[in-house]
Amino acid sequence: MSLWSRMRNTLTGRRLDDEIAEELQFHLEMDGAGGRSPRDARLRLGNVARIKEETRAMSLMQWLESAIADARYGVRQLRSAPLLVVTVVLSLTLGLGATTAIFVLVDAAIRKPLPLADPDRLVIFEWSAPDFPPGVSNLNGEFRRLEGGRRQGSSIGASLYRRLASEQTGFAALIGVGAYPDPIALAVEGAPAEQESIQYVSANYFQALGVEPAVGRGFSSGEDQVGHEPVVIISHRLWLRRFAGDRSVIDRPIRINNVPARIVGVAPPGFFGTRAGQWPGIYAPLAIKVAFLPSSGTAVRAEDDGNWWVRVIGRVRSDVPEPAATARLATLFRGMATPPGMAVDAPSIPQLAAFPGSRGFESLSARDTDALWTLLLLVGVLLLVVCANVANLLLSQAVARHQESAMRLALGATRARVFRQHLIEGAVLALVGGTAGLFVGDVFAQSIHRLFQTGRDASYGYDLHIGGRVVVNTALLSMAAAFLFGLAPAWRAARADIGDAVKGHARSIAGARLRVPRALVAFQIALSLAALVAAGLLGRSLTHLKAIDIGFDRDRIAYATVNPARAGYAADRIPDYADRVRAALAAIPGVMQVSTVSTRPLSGGGNANAVNMPGRPPEVEGGMAKNEYITHTNAVGEGFFAALGIPVLAGRALDHRDAAPGVSTVVVDDLFVRRFLPNQDPIGRRFGLGIDAKLNTKYEIVGVVANSRYNSLRNAPMPTVYEGYRPGGTVNFAIRSAVDSTALREAVRQAVASIDGNVPLTEFHTQPALIDRLLRTERMMSVISAALGGIALTLAAIGLAGLLGYMVARRRKEIGVRMALGATAADVIRMVLRDSSRLIGIGLAIGLPCAYGVARVLRSLLFELEPVDIPTTAMAFAVLSAVALAAAWLPARRAASIDAVSALRKE
Amino acid sequence: MAKADNLQGALELLVLKILRRGSTHGFAIASYIQQTSDELLRVEAGSLYPALHRMTEAGLLKAEWRMSDAGRRARFYALTPKGRRKLEAEEARWHAIAGAVAKVLRSVT
Repeated sequence: MSLWSRMRNTLTGRRLDDEIAEELQFHLEMDGAGGRSPRDARLRLGNVARIKEETRAMSLMQWLESAIADARYGVRQLRSAPLLVVTVVLSLTLGLGATTAIFVLVDAAIRKPLPLADPDRLVIFEWSAPDFPPGVSNLNGEFRRLEGGRRQGSSIGASLYRRLASEQTGFAALIGVGAYPDPIALAVEGAPAEQESIQYVSANYFQALGVEPAVGRGFSSGEDQVGHEPVVIISHRLWLRRFAGDRSVIDRPIRINNVPARIVGVAPPGFFGTRAGQWPGIYAPLAIKVAFLPSSGTAVRAEDDGNWWVRVIGRVRSDVPEPAATARLATLFRGMATPPGMAVDAPSIPQLAAFPGSRGFESLSARDTDALWTLLLLVGVLLLVVCANVANLLLSQAVARHQESAMRLALGATRARVFRQHLIEGAVLALVGGTAGLFVGDVFAQSIHRLFQTGRDASYGYDLHIGGRVVVNTALLSMAAAFLFGLAPAWRAARADIGDAVKGHARSIAGARLRVPRALVAFQIALSLAALVAAGLLGRSLTHLKAIDIGFDRDRIAYATVNPARAGYAADRIPDYADRVRAALAAIPGVMQVSTVSTRPLSGGGNANAVNMPGRPPEVEGGMAKNEYITHTNAVGEGFFAALGIPVLAGRALDHRDAAPGVSTVVVDDLFVRRFLPNQDPIGRRFGLGIDAKLNTKYEIVGVVANSRYNSLRNAPMPTVYEGYRPGGTVNFAIRSAVDSTALREAVRQAVASIDGNVPLTEFHTQPALIDRLLRTERMMSVISAALGGIALTLAAIGLAGLLGYMVARRRKEIGVRMALGATAADVIRMVLRDSSRLIGIGLAIGLPCAYGVARVLRSLLFELEPVDIPTTAMAFAVLSAVALAAAWLPARRAASIDAVSALRKE
Repeated sequence: MAKADNLQGALELLVLKILRRGSTHGFAIASYIQQTSDELLRVEAGSLYPALHRMTEAGLLKAEWRMSDAGRRARFYALTPKGRRKLEAEEARWHAIAGAVAKVLRSVT
């Protein structure tokens, strides 16, 4: 049976089913009219349903068959235009790949549920209170200000958690999780210790989350007890990395912070814990923290009631509604949250509340979340550009296939069928592009992830594997794209004039004005302008940020960090240890200077306090000093200013004398002097830090240094006070050297290990790497938006060249006539270029408001730039115009080379 | 007598032949076969309508909805040029076969 007759049959007139029914009904009535009883007639007719079924069966099968035939036919048609297919599939692969990549990231960081059993049954508990809860001296975990002045906190004390968890509540289980993983030193079998991260959890953690260890077992309830032998479970990644996936790792002795411990299990692959983005290597019971982090002196201990650091997740029972269970738990919590014997007024007691927990703890800062959504918006725009481009390419092909469509219509195919045929062709293309896009998307996502993780160790990272959610999403997007780009060509094909089939040559289309293709090219140019402006703004912001004078010599500085306290060093032994490491580092060939520092400049962290000048106490607002009284504080060792290249402007630099106990001599920077001691000699002046007005003479200024950037490039510079540095737990060394950073890192590692193999090199960063880490969101946005802009520009150029090429081919005869009448090659080129300039002009005009819209969305990511930035816009304008004209040049040249005689003869 | 649907080729031939005289609907075709064969050939609707649709799909017939003499909408079938050629070929083949069969029947006594 021919394709044509199938087409005629399948979609002509009304639904076939109704037709058969009516035809048989007619038969029945006619039979009855002959004098027989209707029942008799029906008997004679036989089983109506069966007849219908048999008559229709062919048609249903045919519909499916015909769809497959259409697809096959489509593939055959496409095979005859390989260049077109390659261009279309490449465009789709880029567009769908970019979209997939960003979707993978958004999904991993913001949307995906935790990889464990029944995540929808999890709730996360937080509490709200006017301030720190009574009796609490240390809070670790999210603590934010709510509207109306209350604070929302997230963690509670370890023993408070255990008491709550042992109560009969409406929850199947209450799980305790340390608010953040802690860095530790892990030593395996005599090798030098290495930095790892540990997540302290309650004993029921794995079992209650429904996570089955891949090897070994979860924790048992007796193991969350102070004094119990330290047992740990390691992540699958650490197992592969450090133990090569050896199953005999169970019961193997290791040393954590120089304390003996035993591995009892390996977490399953893909399990990263309960906060996306962090991937701790080791899990240990909450009570083991005391063993791994023995604190000396007055420091708070993990098990202190006043130290709140454990977050609580609940698993909802199927037979108790969650609100009732939470209400019961909140009442219990109120009763337990206050230390016994402490008189407190009711409003200050924290109030417990439950939040959905299927995605685990919050993973990204608000800024990074914004950045990701912005990227999703940008790739959405890119995908639209791709669709417009593909639509155009197919459209020019649909015009070329005009006669084929006309023939099919003339042979009786319905317009719907021709329409469907073209959509199916689009779907075939989108399927190929989408499949390739999945692979490209994977590569893109991994690269963006690497950019985003700059300067972070293995304990960070997102699970980016391409799962069912991503595949479904990309498949849906592909189909949506297929429909978007297939619509216009399909519509055009279905509108073909039947008469053209008979005439044998599609003359009538020569008059068609190609309105849709022109509009699409203009649209592409408009969106490309928006993408280029976005890329320009983000790129210029990054350049501005990087060009900021940070006040010291960034290129030759590197920092090494060690934590001897974690290897069991008592506080009084640490300064001596630090001196020995410092000497070892200074002995490395090529190292010029080594000093110590508490807060590494531009590492992102830091301290701030209010300056309390005699006679000018800080103004306080809502319990906090006003911003103009705030100064940064840092502690630095001997030779720090020289090592970084910060000039001393007056007095002297800090040395070992200033680090002696009981000494409070400080150096301040120029901004401090100008803000707090304008037009006065600062040397010898005294001041205090903090908002207590009486404490205003503790510190004595002995020197003034030049300004430098402390922890932000974005914010306005702030004053800084430098104290002498007495290393406590963590020690940062600032190294000035002429050595290449890779070689330096290795030399530093060896120097640290040579002093004490139990103390690992915790971190090593060059100053530029720290700045890159500080600017990682900006770098990521800038790189990605530049890539998107480039892709959009390329696509627009392809689209324009394709359209013009087609128009030139169609006007071959007209151009031939013009040339025969004396038009020169230059005239023809001018004609084509004039045509394209109009198109480009329209596109740019539409693009300007689009660009402004995108730029406004980007506002929060810009630095020292307004959304309307004339140089950026002008640049984008110029680049786009140049590329577009270059794209138009090729078809224009082709037009000019048309030979008048042969063009005319061909007709 | 054998049912017509055991002889699919025969039913198709009869349908083609009847439609040669002009277009008509399924019921009329069934009635006509029945009457002219003196009720010897009874055409089941269960064979006739699938055959009509099959032949339409194959391009031998064309179908359209028209008013019947009874003033009711009915689906009328008519021969296509392809159907006409098919009829000629099939009729000739039928006569040849029927003649051959008769010859054999006569000779073997």
